[in-house]
Parts: sequence; structure tokens; C-alpha cells
Amino acid sequence: MEGTEEWKTQLEAWKNQLEKWLNQGIEYSQQIPPIQLYAAITILLFTTLLLLLIRVFKRVKSSTIVLTGLSGSGKTVIFYQLRDGSSHEGTVTSMEPNEDTFVLHSETAKRAKIKPVHLVDVPGHARLRPKLDEFLPQAAGIVFVVDAVEFLLNCRAASEYLYDILTKASVVKKKIPVLILCNKTDKVTAHSKEFIRKQMEKEIDKLRASRSAISEADIANDFTLGVAGEAFSFSHCYNKVTVAEASGLTGEISQVEQFIREYIKP
Amino acid sequence: MLEQLLIFTRGGLILWACKELGNALKGSPIDTLIRSCLLEERSGAELYNYDAPGAAYTLKWTFHNDLGLVFVAVFQRILHLLYVDELLAMVKREFSEIYDPKRTLYTNFDETFRQLKKEAEARAEDLKKSKQVDASSRAGAFDLNKLQKLRAKGAKKPETVVSKVSKAEPKKKPTKKNTVWDDTPRQAKLDYTDPVGENGDNIEVVAADHGESMMDKEEVFSSDSEAEEAEEVGKDSKPETKKKGWFSSMFQSIAGKANLEKSDLEPALKALKDRLMTKNVAEEIAEKLCESVAASLEGKEVGFVHEDFFDSTAMEEALVRILTPRRSIDILRDVHAAKEQRKPYVVVFVGVNGVGKSTNLAKVAYWLQQHNISVMMAACDTFRSGAVEQLRTHARRLQIPIFEKGYEKDPAIVAKEAIQEATRNVSEVVLVDTAGRMQDNEPLMRALSKLIYLNKPDLVLFVGEALVGNDAVDQLSKFEQKLADLSASPNTRLIDGILLTKFDTIDDKVGAALSMVYISGAPVMFVGCGQSYTDLKKLNVKSIVKTLLK
Repeated sequence: MEGTEEWKTQLEAWKNQLEKWLNQGIEYSQQIPPIQLYAAITILLFTTLLLLLIRVFKRVKSSTIVLTGLSGSGKTVIFYQLRDGSSHEGTVTSMEPNEDTFVLHSETAKRAKIKPVHLVDVPGHARLRPKLDEFLPQAAGIVFVVDAVEFLLNCRAASEYLYDILTKASVVKKKIPVLILCNKTDKVTAHSKEFIRKQMEKEIDKLRASRSAISEADIANDFTLGVAGEAFSFSHCYNKVTVAEASGLTGEISQVEQFIREYIKP
Repeated sequence: MLEQLLIFTRGGLILWACKELGNALKGSPIDTLIRSCLLEERSGAELYNYDAPGAAYTLKWTFHNDLGLVFVAVFQRILHLLYVDELLAMVKREFSEIYDPKRTLYTNFDETFRQLKKEAEARAEDLKKSKQVDASSRAGAFDLNKLQKLRAKGAKKPETVVSKVSKAEPKKKPTKKNTVWDDTPRQAKLDYTDPVGENGDNIEVVAADHGESMMDKEEVFSSDSEAEEAEEVGKDSKPETKKKGWFSSMFQSIAGKANLEKSDLEPALKALKDRLMTKNVAEEIAEKLCESVAASLEGKEVGFVHEDFFDSTAMEEALVRILTPRRSIDILRDVHAAKEQRKPYVVVFVGVNGVGKSTNLAKVAYWLQQHNISVMMAACDTFRSGAVEQLRTHARRLQIPIFEKGYEKDPAIVAKEAIQEATRNVSEVVLVDTAGRMQDNEPLMRALSKLIYLNKPDLVLFVGEALVGNDAVDQLSKFEQKLADLSASPNTRLIDGILLTKFDTIDDKVGAALSMVYISGAPVMFVGCGQSYTDLKKLNVKSIVKTLLK
């Protein structure tokens, strides 16, 4: 009993103290002109809003470009062309993704501050495809590299891979733009980009039929492509699909750079 | 002769290639090595043989996992180069010292490589000569030499750095080369002392203590594979760490070791292997897989060496990679492609007795039928009594036409006629049932080989039961082997896909799927999981991997 009594008196003392401080605070605030108070509050609100905005803004605008395509189409060479402006000693089949954040090599001469690009080169070997899913959600753009010389041999495989990418939920929902890059155009026997586009459209049209026939349990793709009852064309896609030409070995990659800078503003 | 030596990153950029060797390689052995060996989790193997028109190469490789580098040596198959392993190890050691991730040009490595190559060649030469040395004295000298080596190793690093700097000056090249290399033919023994002498002053001590024969023994030791040496060194250092006392060892266990060594990996790998084997993965496969995972981890920097580390990352990645099909397994797409060429799509079901070929053939037929594809069955099991009747029953129930010619006929001929019949009837798919056969039964295997050779099916489906354990390896490898051996044409058809049956009976022992895919490299296209026609599934890679590592 005695203990609680003591406790109560102590509590009372604290309460008094607190009340005193509170009164002091109110008095003090009353001394300040109200305009100043309002100004302070607005500044506070404004800064928090600004910070929030910046965060939201940043999340939307990622600076990742994903290089993908079949094995042997020349992704790694393009990666190093973009980074260093040279293909060095040559490349072999990649076993791991190449990843780097840099200012494009063609822009390094400029003095101005340029936003660096986060470029990922995902290996094309079928066994390593699951890796692609790690990078797609943060991508601002996808460059799908196609070998224009050996195109007819790989047409089906490439189209299937592209179909898989175009129907992925992460790509469709965010409408990530896709660039189909016909590589190795320095060779005489290379196919034109128009030809490649048409062939791939045809091939995807067939794929659409066979894939949608597979029973529900099998479906790995999340969306169907194009307009039903019409021949497929890349313009039917939810996201923007463009076609361009490049030559990794000779360093003719201006169209890729253009694509990158279209979606990652310097 | 060494054809080529390449250093490249795991990302695929060639950092350095030997220009002197510079012979243009025929075909693309490196890409083939990566695609069919390193990416298939077969990097635990010793070497890889590459065949292309006009070329037969053997490739050897080593990894530097911490830096993500791969070193590959290519040489002609007919030459047994003894020094390749050692050369690779030396190149790895030297190159990792100058490696810088920012740098992509290493022209100054040419000179170092030339030196290393000569050193390795000389050692190989000496090894040949010293083979006559009796083994008894070898054992005695072993330990002392090791000590010398160890001491020398410590002293070596700064030395080589200095020598590298001097080598960077190009004008010194010719003179240096001559002085070293005029010596060799004259005195092989003296030549060997060169590399050791470079290491420090120990060489005189050695000579004084043990006399002349010592040199040879030292060579015997050092020209043994580098791996062994590394192991020895590892063993030697162990007691030393023990002596450090509990405090430092505690500290080490808290802070973690800087780099993973093979000895660190062993207990964890063994546990992992055991776990895989309890999941019915064939022992051989489990062993190879663990080796491959070890090869990809060795030398990596990690904080904690813990069992979970393997499960969660390296092993899972490896398993997913193996089970992910290498090519598209969209059969419907292939059927449509065949239809455009006005040919029926032919699937041949092969396998040992009683695994469920006919039952699952019926399931596949049902599945195809569901997708509006006209199917025809061909009863080519002309061997076992009742097989044709069994298939006929299925055909009647599913209302599918069946092609049969009774028993005692050559199955290859029956299949051929069936395909002709299908072309006439415009059937889109022909499912060919064959007799079950044990992998060792040569007459039957020969018949199967003939059937495949004669009819060129679009898909050879191996039907295997999920219950099988160690026998999976034997079945599949022998089937492939026999198909390859007994066929008449040079480019044989092997197994294109796997149908895994009785999957509903095995609970969590899903290892057979892994064993079969690893052995054949073919994807699992269907999984049979019940008795009714609808019980046919696709393989769910993620759930399999999860079950395997549970």
C-alpha cells in the first residue's frame, strides 16, 4: 500500500512538470507570429512531398537495358562495343551475364554530365534462360539481338525466344519497349531487317496458334499476342517493337545507342 | 603441339589468346566445350574431346572462380601432352596476379607465357627421362622436397613480379630467350634447376644434402599433377593452423575463411551427395554433380562455409540448369511444322520391359487428340504376345485408327508401312509402339536401330520409369550406346526426349528425372502420373529442384 502511495505522489509530480512544460511551449508558440508558423509548416510539408516524389520518380525510371537473344548472335560483342568501343580480342559463349553501369563509349568525349546506362548482357544458351527473369522486371528496354547471316537456320528458335519474352507478364505490364537488332549486317550474305521482321512475324503467328492450343495447365506464357483472327504483326504488341540493324564487329551500333538514349535520357 | 591457349571471363570476353601459337582452330572447339560441357555441369571431367571435319582436338581447362576466369588449352588429340595440366596451373597463377577487371588488354602476358611454356615443356621432358628412377628412394626424399617447395613458394611471389617488370621491356627479349634456351638441350638436369633457382637460394642446399639423384626425385614430385601438389600443401598447412590456438581458430570461424579450398568443401559436398542419393539420384550422377559444383566454388571468397550455402545457391543453380530443356519441347509446334511439309510426325517409343510404353503412348495419343490432331498408332511390338491386342484395345477406346500386321514381322517394315498409310490417310501424327527390350539384348537392339534408321522418326522418346535408381544410368547410356554402335549410317539418331512414367508412385524420390536428363542431355517431355488417359503432365522444374534439395 505504502509503495503505491509513494508511486502516486511521484506520478503527480511528473504530471505537474509536464503540464508546466506544455504551458511554456504554448506560450512560446503564441509569441511567434502566426505567419512564421504557417511558413514553417508549409516548408515541412513541401520537403516531404518533394522527397516522396523523387523516390517515386526514381523507381519508375530505371536505367537498365537488357541485351538478349540466341547464343552466338553477338550480344557480348555489342556489350563491349557500347562500353569500350571495341570488341577486344573476340568473345566466346558466355556462361554468366555481363553487367556494368557506364556512360556509352561514343558519349565519353562530351564534357557534359551524362546519365550512365546499366547494361546487362544475358547469355543466350537455353540452359541459362531462367537468368533473364531476374533482370526483366527492372528493364527500361530490351534489345533482342538476331544473327542476320544465319537467320534462316535459327529463325524458329529465335522467334520462340522472342515470343516467350513478349508474352512475359513483367514485359507486357510495364510495356517495356523491344528493339529487334539484326546483327552482323557487315557481311554480304546478311538478310535485310525487313525480311527478318516479316519472317519472325510469320513464325510468331504460327507459334500463337500452337501455344494457345496447349491446355491451361501447361501454359507458361501469361498473355496472348496480337489481335485474334488477324495475321500477327509487331505493331499489335502492347509494347513498342522496333527493328534496327547493327554490326558488332565493325562497331556500327549507332541505332542501338539511339534506342538506348530514347528511353534513358542523358 | 599446343594448338591454342585462351583466357576468358565467364562473361565470354577473351582476355588473352596466345598469338604465337596462332593456328586457326578448325570448327569452334571453345564454344562447343562451353555449350556441351561446362554449361551441362560436366566441368568435373578431366578433358573434352572435340571432333570436327578435319580436326580432332582435346581440350583441358581450369577455372579461377574468385575472379571468374576460365583457362582453356587446346591440343591435337594424337599428341599426349604431359605438361598441359601444369602449364594451365602456372598460367592461372601468373595471370591471376596481373588480372584487373577494368583492364581488357594483356599483351605483356605474351612474354610470361613463353617462359611458362618452356618451363613446363622442360619439366615434361625431364619426366620422361626420370621415369627409370626407382620408387623406393622417391618416398624418402618426398617430404624434404615438399618443405623446399613450400619455402620456395613463399619467396617466389616478389621474384616473379620483378622478373615480369624486366620482361616488359621488349628489347631484352631475344637475348634472354637465347641464354635460357641454348642451355636446355645440353643439360636437361641443369635446365630444371632454372625454375627452382628462380625461386630462391634453396637449390644449393638441396644439392649438398642429397647429392645428384635428388634432382630427379624433385622433378618426379613436381611434375605430378598440380592438383596433388595443392592438396599436399593444404595438408601441410593444416597442423599449422591447429597450432595457432583456439583464439585464432575462433576468430577464423567467426570471420570466415578468405577462400574456399577443396578440403573445406568436402564434408558439405559429401552430405549433399548423400542427400541426392536418398532422393534416388544415381550414385555416379550425384558424384559428378558434386564435383562440378565443387569446381565452380573452389577458390571463391565466402564468409561462412556452411552446408546451406551449397543448397541454396550453387547446387540449385546447377540443377535448374540441367533440367531446363536445351531445345524447345513444344511438340504441337513441331507437328504443325511437319504438317506444312505434308508429312506425318513420327514418334517412336522405346524403353526396357514393363515401364509403360503402351499405356503412355495411349495417353499421348489422347492428349494430341484433345488438340484436334489426327493420330494413328502403329503396333510394332511384334515380339511379345498380346501387345498388339493391348494397343488395339486402347485404339478402340480412344477411337483412333491403328496399323497392325500381326506378330513375327520385322517391326521396321511394319513401321514403314504404317507411315505410308498415315501419309495416305493424312494422319498428322504416327505413334510407334515398340517391344520392350533390355539394354543388353543385342538382337533386339539391332532391330530397334534398324527401325530408327529406316524410318527417320521426328522424335525418339525414351520411356523410363521414375522408380529406377542406379539402373537409370545403365539403361539410358547403353540404349544410346547401342543405337550409336549398331546403326548403319554415320550420323545416328539418339534419344530426343524422355517420358517419365509411374511418377505418382515415388513420393519425393524424384532423382530418376535428374539422372536420366543428365545422362542423355535430352529433356523430360512428358511425365506419366496415373492410370487414366488424362494423367500426363509436363515436368515442373522448380518443384523437382525443390524436392531434390529438401
